[in-house]
Order: sequence, then structure tokens, then C-alpha cells
Amino acid sequence: MKRMRYLLAAGAATAGLVGGTSAYAAGTLAGTLIQNTANATFSSGSGTSTIQSNTVTVKVDQLVGVAVTALTSTPATIGTTAATLIYQVTNTGNGADSFDLTGAPNVSGNAFNATLQTVAIDTNGNGVYDPGVDTVITNGAASQTLAPDASIKVFLIAAAPTTATDTQTSQVRLTATSVTGSGTPGTLLAGKGVGGVDAVVGASGGTANALAGLIASLATVTLTKSATIADPYGGTNPVPGATVTYTIVSHVTGSGTATGLQVTDTFPTGTTYQASSLTLGGTALTDAADSDAGTATSTGITVTLGNVAGGSADKTIAFKVKIN
Amino acid sequence: MRNFSRNVVTALVVLAATPALALAAPGAVSLESSIKLDKVVTEKGQTHHEYVAPQKVVPGNHLLFVTSYRNTGDKPVDHFVVTNPVPSPVALESAGADNFDVSVDGGKTWGKLSQLSVTKPGASARAAEAADVTHVRWVIPVIAPGAAGTLEYHAVVR
Repeated sequence: MKRMRYLLAAGAATAGLVGGTSAYAAGTLAGTLIQNTANATFSSGSGTSTIQSNTVTVKVDQLVGVAVTALTSTPATIGTTAATLIYQVTNTGNGADSFDLTGAPNVSGNAFNATLQTVAIDTNGNGVYDPGVDTVITNGAASQTLAPDASIKVFLIAAAPTTATDTQTSQVRLTATSVTGSGTPGTLLAGKGVGGVDAVVGASGGTANALAGLIASLATVTLTKSATIADPYGGTNPVPGATVTYTIVSHVTGSGTATGLQVTDTFPTGTTYQASSLTLGGTALTDAADSDAGTATSTGITVTLGNVAGGSADKTIAFKVKIN
Repeated sequence: MRNFSRNVVTALVVLAATPALALAAPGAVSLESSIKLDKVVTEKGQTHHEYVAPQKVVPGNHLLFVTSYRNTGDKPVDHFVVTNPVPSPVALESAGADNFDVSVDGGKTWGKLSQLSVTKPGASARAAEAADVTHVRWVIPVIAPGAAGTLEYHAVVR
């Protein structure tokens, strides 16, 4: 009777713990005790005896591990506005750990190197950078503590340098390094684990990184100015009283968009603007600063073209001045 | 005076004999458990296993659980059954697991691993795997006085 009760109790305890440990991909939690006890029954003469061995105990140490993946799978477009790259950092170790997060835009093979503006942790876990909500950290600073198997999303916000040209590509690296320790796999970190247990650097070396891609989407604006002269005598000579028609053609190329494009020109000295002669695409614009795109003053003209996508039709601005 | 002294001597003999009698009946077997770390060492392109004291143990490490027994009595013992619950943080390794009986249900039923099956709630029965094993058991028919041996199982830290 006594032996049976013992066996049943041991069985119940074992089954309960199996469910607890197998839940972790990272493995048995650091600090867990492995305890082994054998028991035996035997008969000798008329009696049956039950004996139990000593209990030998081994504590599970912390195995340091980290994985980084880029969640931005297709290159993010970067142009006049910054690009947000998303990464995931997972604690693959068996103990709580935090990780230094370092963004590096200088990657070998880059056509251009972006400028890292912000490193942020997705505090609300929605996968979208929310300024003022998500935690902005200094580049290279540590994350919060992650439980085994837990992961966080990290944002790197990068801006294109002025040297970047349309369709050039670039990569930005996020490296996560265990605060517990890193180095050659197998390196012992005495007493550095959770609760003061020893830690051992795992196969990842305690550090991992991933690359996410950028593609420059920029627009190039070319303005071409020409002039035609009509003199009072039916000719084309630049004499006093002649009318000069200036034409400015705005040509936008590239995969990006020229945003807030505004064309300004100043009248040449010795000329006088001819009122109400300003046109855009052949349509007259009033001189006054009003709801239409153009304004003319005594010194020059301004035409607001706004956001112009690369490859869209050329826009032609024209105005007339008279030589004094 | 002489009688008194003889009585004292007799009493001493009885006292000395009592612990020995208690050990001898009904039979005495020592049982000792130990854990060793199974370390694969590569030297000059050759690998071999070293079983060392487990200084550092992390998930994925291979452990050797050893139970040593010895019949310390002066009579043989029969039907010596050693039962060892497999600690939950480790999983039995399949290599060598057919050398003993195992249980996958907390010690209720026993058999060779290949003969057992597991039924989880809401799932159909499947063949038991080494990682399902909750207990291992050895049955030794007779241990002669003074005879000793070791029982081993290999397991990996989950």
C-alpha cells in the first residue's frame, strides 16, 4: 500500500511538470532543478522491502540566445520622406534577458547609406510606428527584459541622403546583442544568469542581426527656359518696345514625386511685366495671389505646381515682358 | 564479582550484534543515484564520449542517469525492481531505451517503448516516443550477496 501511494504521487507530479516545461521552444527555464531519485522493491526470504536512493539534483543554467528577423520583406521606398523598417527580436534563450539594439545603415554593397533617425520599440505591439506612443531609444541601448520565447518589434527610421539617386537600393542592419553576455558559443558567464545562475553563450553567440532593404524613390525636376521676341516692327529684335515671351517647361522624371514644386522667376532688369500674361499649360492665371496656381508681382512670377509625379506630362509656364 | 563481570560481557555482545541483525533481515541493498554530463569530445578528428560531473547544464545537453545497486546483505534478494521517474525537465533518449521497460502514463502501465501508445485529450492515439516516457523500470531476478551493478538511461535536457 505504501509503495503504491508513492508511485502514484510521483506520477502525478511528473505529469504536471511535463506540461510546464514543454511549453517553451527555448527549452527548460534557467534555474529549473533536475532531480533524480530511484526507488526499488525486492523480496528476501519472506519479506518485501522498499528502498529509495539519494536524490541527486542538477540546476539548469541559462543558455543565452537571440534571433532577429526583418519583417520588412520587400524594400521600403525612401525618398523625400523617411522610411520605417520593422524587425523582430526574439529571446531564444531559456532565461529572461534584454538585448542591446543597434541600427547600422552602413552595409557593404549599399548604393547609398541612409541616415538613421530613430530607433524605437513597438510598445503597443501593433506593428506600426506610433510617434509619442512607441518607446524611442538611443541607438545601441538595451530593450526591456524579454521572457524566454518573447519577442518585440523594433523600428528603424531612415532618411535618404541627398546623394541618393532614384531606384538605388540600400540595406540597414539591426543587431541585437544579449546584455547577459555574448561571445564564442559555449563561453561561460559565471553568475550572470537570472537569479544568479551561471549563463552559457548559446549557438547564436548571444548576438543576431538582420537586414532590411530600402529603395530610393526620387524625382528629378528639370526646368527649361526659352524666350521669343516680337518687336514693334514685325521682327524679332530685342529693341525697346519689343515683347519677350518667356516659356518655362517643368519636366519631372523618376519613380518618386516632386512634392510642393514651386517655380519662381524674376523679370530681367529693364523690362516690365505685361499684366495678365501669365499662363500655365496655355490657361490664363490671374496675377493676384488667389485660388489659382499663379501670382505675378512687379518683380517676378511664382507658379505652384504642387506634387508632381515622375513621368507625368510636362507643365509649361509662360509670361510676357516688354523691353523698356 | 565473577558472575557480574560475565553478565556485562554478555550484554556487550548482544548490543554489538543488534545493529548487524537489523541490517541482515529482511535483506539489504544499497541504491545510489547520480547524474553525469555526456560530453562529446573531438580529438584528432575522433569523437568520443566523456561522462563528467555536470558543472554546467543547459537545454540540449545530454545527461546520463546512473543508479548503482549493491546487495550488502548475506542473503540473495529476489525480484529486484528499480523504478525511476524521469525528471520532467529531461526527455528520455530513444537510443538504448529498449533495454528496459518504460511507462508513458506516470507508472500505471509498463512495456517496451515500441509497444506503447499515447492518447492526448482531443487527439487520436499515436505511437509513444521517447520524450513521452515518464518512468523507466528495470527488473533484476536475483542479486547474490555482495553482487552489484549499475542501471543507466540517457536523457536530453528539454
